[in-house]
Amino acid sequence: MKVLIADDHPVVRQGLRQMLAVEQDLTVVGEARNGQEVVELSRRVPWEVAVLDYNMPGKNGLELIKELRQRYPGRAVLVLSMYPEDRYAVRALKAGAAGYLTKESAPEELVSAIRKVAGGGRYVTPTLGEKLALELEDNRGKPLHETLSDREYQVMWMIASGKTVRQIADELFLSPNTVSTHRTRILRKMNMKSNAELMHYAIAHHLVD
Amino acid sequence: MNDLAHPAALEAESPQDSVTEKAKILLVDDEPKSLFALQELLSTLGQNLMVAQSGEEALRLALRNDFAVILLDVRMPGIDGFETARLIRTRDRSKSTPIIFLTAAADEMTSMFRGYEVGAVDYLMKPVIPDVLKSKVAVFVELFRKTERLRESEDKLRRLAAHLISIREEERAHIAREIHDELGQVLTGLKMEVTWLAKRLKDKPLIEKTDSMCALIDSTVQTVRKIATGLRPEMLDDMGLVAAVGWQAKEFQKRTGIRCRAKLPAETKFDIDISTTMFRIFQEILTNVARHSRATRVDIELAVTEAECSLEVVDNGVGIQESELTARKSLGLLGMQERALLFGGDVRITGTAGHGTRVSVTIPLSRKTK
Repeated sequence: MKVLIADDHPVVRQGLRQMLAVEQDLTVVGEARNGQEVVELSRRVPWEVAVLDYNMPGKNGLELIKELRQRYPGRAVLVLSMYPEDRYAVRALKAGAAGYLTKESAPEELVSAIRKVAGGGRYVTPTLGEKLALELEDNRGKPLHETLSDREYQVMWMIASGKTVRQIADELFLSPNTVSTHRTRILRKMNMKSNAELMHYAIAHHLVD
Repeated sequence: MNDLAHPAALEAESPQDSVTEKAKILLVDDEPKSLFALQELLSTLGQNLMVAQSGEEALRLALRNDFAVILLDVRMPGIDGFETARLIRTRDRSKSTPIIFLTAAADEMTSMFRGYEVGAVDYLMKPVIPDVLKSKVAVFVELFRKTERLRESEDKLRRLAAHLISIREEERAHIAREIHDELGQVLTGLKMEVTWLAKRLKDKPLIEKTDSMCALIDSTVQTVRKIATGLRPEMLDDMGLVAAVGWQAKEFQKRTGIRCRAKLPAETKFDIDISTTMFRIFQEILTNVARHSRATRVDIELAVTEAECSLEVVDNGVGIQESELTARKSLGLLGMQERALLFGGDVRITGTAGHGTRVSVTIPLSRKTK
């Protein structure tokens, strides 16, 4: 498979080259340092998959993806970005990228992503897949935490952040009794039995860091 | 005032300082002889004396000049002194110009009251006592000077603040980019090298070491990203204000547990300086909510039309008090006002005890032509 690498940083390009060199079925056929070079190289070199940095000097990442898709609909663009997936991946995919990976991804992940998109498929990380699935689910019915009142939400957030009833009471200027009452109601509304369950839910739904 | 941020406004900074210029004094009398006498008398003050022989002429001059004081004869054919004073006062430029009426001793006390009514600051009987007139006029010249000086230093301060704000913003953007791009990419490269190494290792303890190195690099990348975004969210430049506000609201909810509801328009991109200003004001509002409001909920509404960009943030907390708004105006609130003012915008804050605080920000989009 013919791969094009585009990144403005020599270290990253070198790393990618090394990483792909060990794979028998992948050949790096070109390297570009910016969007302009990608466009120029593409005219001469018939790559199949481009591994693009989202943020290169010159052309904006999304524009570059769109342009490549338009000119070469048969080729696949895989975005390899410094930017977190949750904010950029969906946009990149909408613009026509076949996949989105952050630079923290393991090399095996990158290699299997390249193989997947080269075959015309799409690649999203398990994390993003889960998030998209959650959004679908959320669209169908209200997520559980939406049934809480504003105050209950806040108390739930504090419990999920690991605060004790006493700490919560102090911070919110409430009596510990009131906080406990809130907690009971939260658990009932969310159909849960313990703080641990709450924490797990909050992390899964990105309600806490 | 709102062109302060524009380069054109900087021309006012040239050494042509109005303070060192002569103050203008307007003398109005229909009698050429009286005018001449006044001129002679006041010439020793060394100021710029202008004369008018009728009310109409005085009005014309007052339209084009800022006078330190106007000496106005009450009895004139045509528009008399009172009417002239009234008309001068109705104009924006001259609405607070001090007017001293000059009148013959025979005039009654009642006319004096009329004079004060239309805005006279003083009343002198003819024939005037030279020293009295001179010292009165000198007082107004001095007052005018001081006012000018005050206005100038206010102007300078505002320009300085604007300059500092834009420098800070530029620096933040620069540092964020450097950290994110340079440091981040080097770390990425480093991680690739370590992974390459790991693949060639057979020794279990060594593989464990490279694994922990990778984990360390990953968490460092996270930190780098956090610092860069904290300095300046890359989204603002990349996707525009609407996306950045939406993201910031989510982050805020995640960080504080205060529920945020954001009503956002379709994503559009407009002037980056105005976007930045709006975004920074928004951040300041949220900081205040987290710090002072004890709210459990924040409602955000952002609207963008061709004419303006407006933001409304309402919380359900304790409500900011009038005394907090006016008496010891916090620097944070003042900073929001100043930022908005730079683009001809406006920040309004109202609080209702026990029912929360509402902050409305509007910045016109049409007037900035770039």
